[in-house]
Amino acid sequence: MKITITMRGTLKKYMPGEKERVVEVPDNCTCDEALQCIGMNYKEIPNFGFVVRNGMRCMIYDRLEEGDELKAWSRVSGG
Amino acid sequence: MIMSAYQNKVLRIDCTKQETRTEPLNMEFAEKYVGSKGLAIRYMYEDMKPGIDPLGPENNLYLTTGPMTGTPIPCSGKLSVAAKSPATGTMNDCSIGGHAGIRIKFAGYDMIVFEGQMDKPSYIVIEDDKITFHDAGELWGMTSHAAEKKLIDEYGTEYSVLSIGPAGENLNFISCINSDYYRQAGRGGIGAVMGSKKIKAILIKGTGPVNVPNIKETTDRILEIFHENCLSEDNEYVFDEGTYAFLEACNDGGILPAHNFTAATDVNWDKYNGAVMKKYRLGKRGCGSCGLGCGNFMKVGDAIVEGPEYETTAASGPQCDIVSIEHNVRYNQLVDDLGMDSISTGVTVAWAMEMAEKGIHDFGVHFGNEEEMLKIIEDMAYRRGQGAELADGVKVASEKWGGTDFAMHSKGLEFPQYEPRGSFGMAASYAVSDRGACHMRSYTANEEVFEASCPPYTHEGKGQVLYDLGEFNAIKFSCCLCDLWGSVDYAIMAELLTLITGREWTEEEMGVVGRRVLNIGRAFNQREGFTRADDVVPQRLFKDPLKGGPADGQVMTEEGFQDMLDQYFEIMGWDKNGCLPQELLDTL
Amino acid sequence: MATKRLKFKKALCIGCQLCSQVCSAYKEGAYVPSKARIAIETCYDDGSLKYIDNYCILCGMCMKACPFDAIDMDKGWLHVDPEKCKGCGLCAKKCPKHVIQIRDNFAFICDTCEGDPNCVKACPHGALTFE
Repeated sequence: MKITITMRGTLKKYMPGEKERVVEVPDNCTCDEALQCIGMNYKEIPNFGFVVRNGMRCMIYDRLEEGDELKAWSRVSGG
Repeated sequence: MIMSAYQNKVLRIDCTKQETRTEPLNMEFAEKYVGSKGLAIRYMYEDMKPGIDPLGPENNLYLTTGPMTGTPIPCSGKLSVAAKSPATGTMNDCSIGGHAGIRIKFAGYDMIVFEGQMDKPSYIVIEDDKITFHDAGELWGMTSHAAEKKLIDEYGTEYSVLSIGPAGENLNFISCINSDYYRQAGRGGIGAVMGSKKIKAILIKGTGPVNVPNIKETTDRILEIFHENCLSEDNEYVFDEGTYAFLEACNDGGILPAHNFTAATDVNWDKYNGAVMKKYRLGKRGCGSCGLGCGNFMKVGDAIVEGPEYETTAASGPQCDIVSIEHNVRYNQLVDDLGMDSISTGVTVAWAMEMAEKGIHDFGVHFGNEEEMLKIIEDMAYRRGQGAELADGVKVASEKWGGTDFAMHSKGLEFPQYEPRGSFGMAASYAVSDRGACHMRSYTANEEVFEASCPPYTHEGKGQVLYDLGEFNAIKFSCCLCDLWGSVDYAIMAELLTLITGREWTEEEMGVVGRRVLNIGRAFNQREGFTRADDVVPQRLFKDPLKGGPADGQVMTEEGFQDMLDQYFEIMGWDKNGCLPQELLDTL
Repeated sequence: MATKRLKFKKALCIGCQLCSQVCSAYKEGAYVPSKARIAIETCYDDGSLKYIDNYCILCGMCMKACPFDAIDMDKGWLHVDPEKCKGCGLCAKKCPKHVIQIRDNFAFICDTCEGDPNCVKACPHGALTFE
């Protein structure tokens, strides 16, 4: 299925120069699996923050559907 | 032992007698609490008997630096401003930016304590070891910005000015202390403490040294850490857009409060966000020794301010159903000038708006109406008309008028702009914070929302999250370092403290000090009679399902909330009532 | 090779005063910005943000003003000869950037840390450069 992926904060470096990218991912995959499709393993990124599906925060293991917008944030540190 | 970087001197100013004296810094306290936050609370615990009137002569006002203050350690220029709070009756330690902190160190002091009360409105000038008392004259009654301008014009920019506005003069619970025009010691009625001492302004100039061992090698290493860690990409957002960066993150995260904590997202967030701010930004600014520079100096229409911060934006924007960056700037300039806390003011006005909406009482403010809001804020500062009903915040107002279920405060300090139903741990954090609802103690949203796999809408395990983050901030703010150097860690803090003081500080000790600071804050309040019974949050969190966003429909349960308190008390070694046992008190 | 000079871009300055603190560290042996050879600050005045940028621009006015020939710029930075300087203060009066300090009968003038200025290393966002 096709979804759109966007980066926020310092994760922008994983998609340099692109505002967003349409990516082919396995049907009904998790956010984690979708990011793996563009070479991002969240466990190996020290300041990986959280993920957002269609404008709402979700869990890294939540499943996605066709046409979803997946946003990945770096940690927002401070208070 | 004598430590470098400290001045080893405390200045005590007796306002009643208009006399001053100095004493050596209590080095035992310094070794146990480091400085700033921790040191201030320990001194307060030592100096002041329980039960004193926060607006009376026995309440002292403490300006406390840390060993890192006055060194080029980045983000070390904050100053602790502490006293017993008139709004909550607990201890209150505020953190102000600007340049007063470093100048107090250069003047030769670790801490300045204001005791007693002046007999008439005055301002006090501290130039190194020269302290003079002056008649405030026409300054009393001026707004904070007008007073600061007059004083800087007369004394020069080498002085930092700490001033209050009419809100502090009128002893309002919502009153702050300003410096550099746009930096505040904001919360808990700290301005009223200065007002009760009839001090309109404090001026500080310092021309002396801060000494550290092996200064060239020490400075080389500080600059290395500065470039490697502080100026790393993690903190880039600070210079780029400052705390505006939290707006989109909190909206996505479902914790951006709207309509007096009824909803937790705002579809219009991008109409007043960082990108919009940049169109109006004229310059950037930071505090003394800042390495990042979060301040955005903005002009929209004829409104100017260095700000607004995330809290101010949310409190004057979505909370009041207003979508306008011009309003956020205008509001910020107004509350700063009047000397009012931008968080408490916004939350109190939003509550008043809901009171009108529900037909309980009409204070003259309604959701979405900018002009009414700005007018009542002025009335609050001067305690006029319906403004007088709101000047002391939602706790006082709701106890008189009703609407306590949605008066969003804990212990009389209004909620910051992070919705607990979207981040359950924040409810416990607000409840157990040492000064009433505060996000600068334990910011659990960092883990619960801004982290990939921690579930936000549960209470299990939240006690530990609460503790870990609380311990971290407690030592960080005792060094002291600014919150926005987010990537700093215990290893860096310990290395820097060791380099500048000449005493061996370990990574483990950072945690020990952090824990001790949490304990001394609680101990102060316990001695004032606070127990678990006071660790409460408003019923809205339990009764009203949150509207919109990822946390749509969420409510908390009383059992879950109490369970978080149980977990936290056990981790702290407190009893079931949230009190420190005597053996623990003896270690402080 | 052209002489390098300190340059200042106010848009990148946050008024942190780390430049003065670090200068005094290397030159005075303590963090004492009141004795630094550079003094840049920002402040609010009449509704605008003002930049007060006192740093040595190597204009050489001090050198020309010195009645005792105590100041030279032979190596590309200012050097004060302790044998000749009397601390008369004429250089300080002439300095357009007000960065010369007269203390203990001597003129303290920025020497760009002999071509490797430490203030530049401390500046967070490159407001101060050496080029």
